[in-house]
Amino acid sequence: MKLCITSTGTSLDSNVDQRFGRCPYFIMYDSDSDTFESIENASREAMGGAGIQAGQLIASKNAGAVITGNFGPNAFRVLQAAKIKMYSGVSGTVREAIEKYKNGQLTETSAPDVGSHYGMGRSS
Amino acid sequence: MIISVASGKGGTGKTTVAVCLALAAEYCQFIDYDVEAPNADIFLKPEIKNIKKVTIKQPYFLTGTGMDFSKCAQFCHYNALAVIGSEVIFYPELCHGCGGCILVGPEGAVREKDVDVGEVAKGFTGPGIDFLKGNLTPGSMRTTTVQGELEKMLNKKELVIIDSPPGNSCSMVMSVKNSDYCILVTEPTPYGFNDLVISMEVLDGLKIDYGVIINRDGIGDSSVEDYCRDKNIKLLIKIPNSIEIAKCYSKGGTLVDYDMSYKVKFQNILKEIENLVF
Amino acid sequence: MKQITIISGKGGTGKTTIASSFIKMAHDHMAVDADVDAANLHILLNPLVEKKEDFIGGAVAVVNEDCINCGKCEELCRFDAISNSTMDIKIDSLKCEGCGVCEYICPVSAIELKKDKQGEFYTSNTDFCKLIHARLNPGAENSGLLVTRVRNTAEDIAYAQNKKLIIIDGAPGIGCPVIASLNGVDYALIVTEPTLSGISDFKKIYDVAKFFNIKTFVCINKYDINLNNTAEIERFCTLKNIEVIGKVSYDENVPKYLAQKKFIIDNLDSPAAGDIKKLWEKFEETLYS
Repeated sequence: MKLCITSTGTSLDSNVDQRFGRCPYFIMYDSDSDTFESIENASREAMGGAGIQAGQLIASKNAGAVITGNFGPNAFRVLQAAKIKMYSGVSGTVREAIEKYKNGQLTETSAPDVGSHYGMGRSS
Repeated sequence: MIISVASGKGGTGKTTVAVCLALAAEYCQFIDYDVEAPNADIFLKPEIKNIKKVTIKQPYFLTGTGMDFSKCAQFCHYNALAVIGSEVIFYPELCHGCGGCILVGPEGAVREKDVDVGEVAKGFTGPGIDFLKGNLTPGSMRTTTVQGELEKMLNKKELVIIDSPPGNSCSMVMSVKNSDYCILVTEPTPYGFNDLVISMEVLDGLKIDYGVIINRDGIGDSSVEDYCRDKNIKLLIKIPNSIEIAKCYSKGGTLVDYDMSYKVKFQNILKEIENLVF
Repeated sequence: MKQITIISGKGGTGKTTIASSFIKMAHDHMAVDADVDAANLHILLNPLVEKKEDFIGGAVAVVNEDCINCGKCEELCRFDAISNSTMDIKIDSLKCEGCGVCEYICPVSAIELKKDKQGEFYTSNTDFCKLIHARLNPGAENSGLLVTRVRNTAEDIAYAQNKKLIIIDGAPGIGCPVIASLNGVDYALIVTEPTLSGISDFKKIYDVAKFFNIKTFVCINKYDINLNNTAEIERFCTLKNIEVIGKVSYDENVPKYLAQKKFIIDNLDSPAAGDIKKLWEKFEETLYS
């Protein structure tokens, strides 16, 4: 299963970045092979829609779940549509986050964490 | 002749000056290009004759057809689209209305509709001021689209006075670019000075001649005045700092309401500018 | 970590006066100057630049000599950026919005979207906190993009260094740079003034803050120059359930102190100084509640 964690850096010792759309990197961890790769978040500097693009990127990588600090409403909507499980409120290192996930210590997020966001509420 | 009134720093007195110029000229076209926060109508009090909506075309997607819209999402440079399977999530605030998704998307399955981004209003203030203003819908980013509509209505045959928004980037450039002369309004402080120098760089780049008006003279020092003298930049007038002017302004009063002699002072400025331009 | 953006709609109401005072009084914080084309905070805060980075702006279309003048690009450009008047395709970089339609449609691939350096941004230290600020090239576009860069930079540092608060000094108006400075923040403080212009613009900027669902506070600056208008602002706020967390007196010392690059809150005799301190205390209450 592919697990995506928002990260401040490119290694497992990097910290979990607290932002889904604006994090500098995504760590894609493959739990089956116990390997990982880091992906640069090319959309982080976009004026708007960073969460939307990040959501699409993760969906295209066939991630089964995403771990971060906070999901904005745009990202939440996209990930929900893609049926990707979301876990927020996670801090510490990426490695620690993966362990917590494996040990079933994380609770799924049922709603966006951040209220105010560009682009929200007007989708059609 | 087209005269624009601009300022890098906000709140220096652009509208105060532009309005006074129009009242001095008596016969002109006045265009409030500050479509995000238009204020000139508060002072000129025009009778509005006509309001026209400004729209852009935005897409909607016929998702029931089972077509694949992923090319549209890939194409969009503004991140306005997410395509997850057969679901299309569209974010109107991010859409610029470029029509790209219609070109790259499945034929006939991406349609367009008009969406309001603002309006332009036409009016009249006696004795002969043709008044135009633009108004951007809060939440929209289409400032230059609304300004573009004003540009189409600019009447080169008249004397045109343009009230620009603050700043030194695209919305200011849109306002000043057609002018023969630009009046830069500043305050005699390091902040006014800092932003004035940047505005001058913009105008130098556009090859537009300019002069300076110092407003709220007395709150700072003589750095701006000294700079203008050293660089041979025309200082058109200094308006003093005065709580009485501020109070008059707060009620929608103009410089002429505060002191009638400003009408003649600004008529002289108009003559001076005319001589410089022609 | 919380973020507050100080905005006004109308320019000159006192955003920088309030923002700089907050910056002096806060703890465990960072500052962002989001008024990128007319930045002022650095004048008062005297920053020492630690890091300077180039700002590469949004793309614009550029046409090369492979162009066969078919005019398809001009036909499709929605922004009036392409003209064919002199038998030569010309693209106006000011009007070009980098949408990519002309690049896509060109049958001979003569058009390319290109990005250019349009400014710089800086990570700096001041006596009170780190300041992230920028300089947009005169006349350049994409101020919203530069604001986003500056904010991302600040957030990266704030999270890494466990800062409690980012204070963002916003631009006037309600357009892209303002929207970019409001995206995802926790609080907006609208600094308004009791003038008819101020009230008109206050209502517009309030609509923007509401549109993005941001918890909004109001401060009425120079409130005593027109008590009737101040009362009108207060009535509007009551009606819309917006909290007015401060009223600052008109004080001739304020612009004079600022002009001398001094902080008004250091002037113990100034009534405005006392009002601004009370305003900060009120905001701090909310922050830590």
